[in-house]
Amino acid sequence: MDLATFGAIMSFGLDLEQQAAAFYEIAARGALEESFANLAKSARKRAVRMERARREGIAEMILEPITGMDGDDYHLELTPDADEAELLRQAIALEETTQRFYMDAAVKIPVREVARTCIRMAQESERRRAELEKL
Amino acid sequence: MEIKNLKNYIANEWVESKSKESLEVRNPATNEVMARVPLSTVEEVGEAVRAAQEAFQDWRETTPYTRARYMFRLKNLMEERFEDLAQIIVREHGKILDEARGEVRRGIENVEVAAGVPSLMMGYNMEDVSQGIDEDCIYQPVGVFCCVTPFNFPSMVPLWFLPYAVACGNTYIVKPSELCPMSQNILFELFDEVDFPPGVVNLVHGDKRAVDALLDHPDVRGLSFVGSTPVGKYIYAKAAANGKRAQCQTGAKNCLVVMGDAVLDKTVPSIMSSVFGTAGQRCLAGALVIAVGDVYEPLKDKLLESAARIKVGDGLDETVQMGPVVSQKSLDRILGYVEKGIEEGATLLLDGRDIQVEGYPNGYFIGPTIFTDVTSDMVIAREEIFGPVLGVIRVDDFNEALDVIHDSPYGNAASLFTSSGKWAREFKYRVRAGNLGINIGIAAPIASFPFCGMKDSFFGDLHGQGRDAIDFFTDRKVVISRWF
Repeated sequence: MDLATFGAIMSFGLDLEQQAAAFYEIAARGALEESFANLAKSARKRAVRMERARREGIAEMILEPITGMDGDDYHLELTPDADEAELLRQAIALEETTQRFYMDAAVKIPVREVARTCIRMAQESERRRAELEKL
Repeated sequence: MEIKNLKNYIANEWVESKSKESLEVRNPATNEVMARVPLSTVEEVGEAVRAAQEAFQDWRETTPYTRARYMFRLKNLMEERFEDLAQIIVREHGKILDEARGEVRRGIENVEVAAGVPSLMMGYNMEDVSQGIDEDCIYQPVGVFCCVTPFNFPSMVPLWFLPYAVACGNTYIVKPSELCPMSQNILFELFDEVDFPPGVVNLVHGDKRAVDALLDHPDVRGLSFVGSTPVGKYIYAKAAANGKRAQCQTGAKNCLVVMGDAVLDKTVPSIMSSVFGTAGQRCLAGALVIAVGDVYEPLKDKLLESAARIKVGDGLDETVQMGPVVSQKSLDRILGYVEKGIEEGATLLLDGRDIQVEGYPNGYFIGPTIFTDVTSDMVIAREEIFGPVLGVIRVDDFNEALDVIHDSPYGNAASLFTSSGKWAREFKYRVRAGNLGINIGIAAPIASFPFCGMKDSFFGDLHGQGRDAIDFFTDRKVVISRWF
């Protein structure tokens, strides 16, 4: 799916966060329960942040076509009923993907304030991935 | 799908019109009827004016701080209902979601600026203008104001006026476009929730009969209009004849001048959004690209390449970059201009006429259309098409580009794309247009600046938005005092 508008990119990010929240909520069990519950809570908060950035960052003057982003490049296969080792692997992949998506989006989005939000999201994803790798 | 009969909102009541006449409101992407809008009677307009007049005295005595708080409440509700407001714009107008969100955002920004009324409405004074004599200038509200607004920004344009008018202590009536009236009904649901005193804000649907009733009513003190030049001229003349103040933003034929030193990779996307954004149905839309000198050929190629890539479809699909035009009548008019351009001898570089949008066989779609070899005497270069049709004109130098701009009766907006500060300064200094862009294709003033316009693009002296709006919606009174 071509992400060729500001809204398409922002809505894709919002969907990623909602997908992440749903995954972590369902997968929070056993040794992963506490960390995944925290990640789910954080993803919900990040979704709100993305929605706010989409709502407040829109600027008619620079609503120009965007090229070079495709949603298929950030496709995720998440199976929250998998075993714990597999859940951890998927969580790390999820954070890698979101980090990459937000770094790419930050370059493409012409609104600096929103681009900064994307960079912040990417940095958080990187930290989250690092935490997951310690588990 | 349930077809809703839209109601008027008078003195905080939703009132069904008694008029037997109504029009269908259609979704331009699907041609489905979504609602019926009544063509209200002269008596119903009179009821709205009476409610507004009765509310005026108490409202003007309400402190500016309290009036500002109503604006804060309205802003918060608009944020909460942001997506609903955006989606209804897409459904009744056809523009894409990003554009609709941008429209709602700009509407909110006007409410935010108007919330500064305790500062904006402060007067000024000077002591000792003569021996022991002081002079004050105070700003006072005027009375009942109204606006008659267009289809292309059905949510935002009333907010260029209403928040300022009401925050200044006036009372208000909105007469929205009969093509896209639903956005205002949603906005008035929020006004109802804000809980203004009865009569402070009112909504009356209708057509020319309602507009004439507002213009003829002795209690209406002023009117704001955005729409076509012939209608704007009519309204301005009639308002003046009836002793009312008026501000009329009207038609446009905006030129985008591209100099040889322009950064084309940044310029072309900006031209795309200016020309094809909202399917060209913006009064700030670029309609003519004036290519100066040798930039013509490379620019033409890049314009074609970019425009051909624009995805056309239902604006609710976030991957879509251009929606349909507002009505079959608009589509027919635009197609007529394309025929005219061919007849006049322009080259049809990109033909958007036969576009097919899968799943939307009945929508009013036309794809991006580009004419080259356009000359400034052609009809397609002189008249406002109000659709996604671009004409490209080649000129030899900067002065010739200005001649093309100045040859037009309109003076709404103009843009220059260049890397040269000298040309940018010349352009700012010399161009007779109200809203200028330097490396910006859509020179849309933000809420704290006036939305300008000149020549046949504006009739009046004070514009919508910003400081101008405060001046339009107030009387200045000078008090000279001496105490013995």
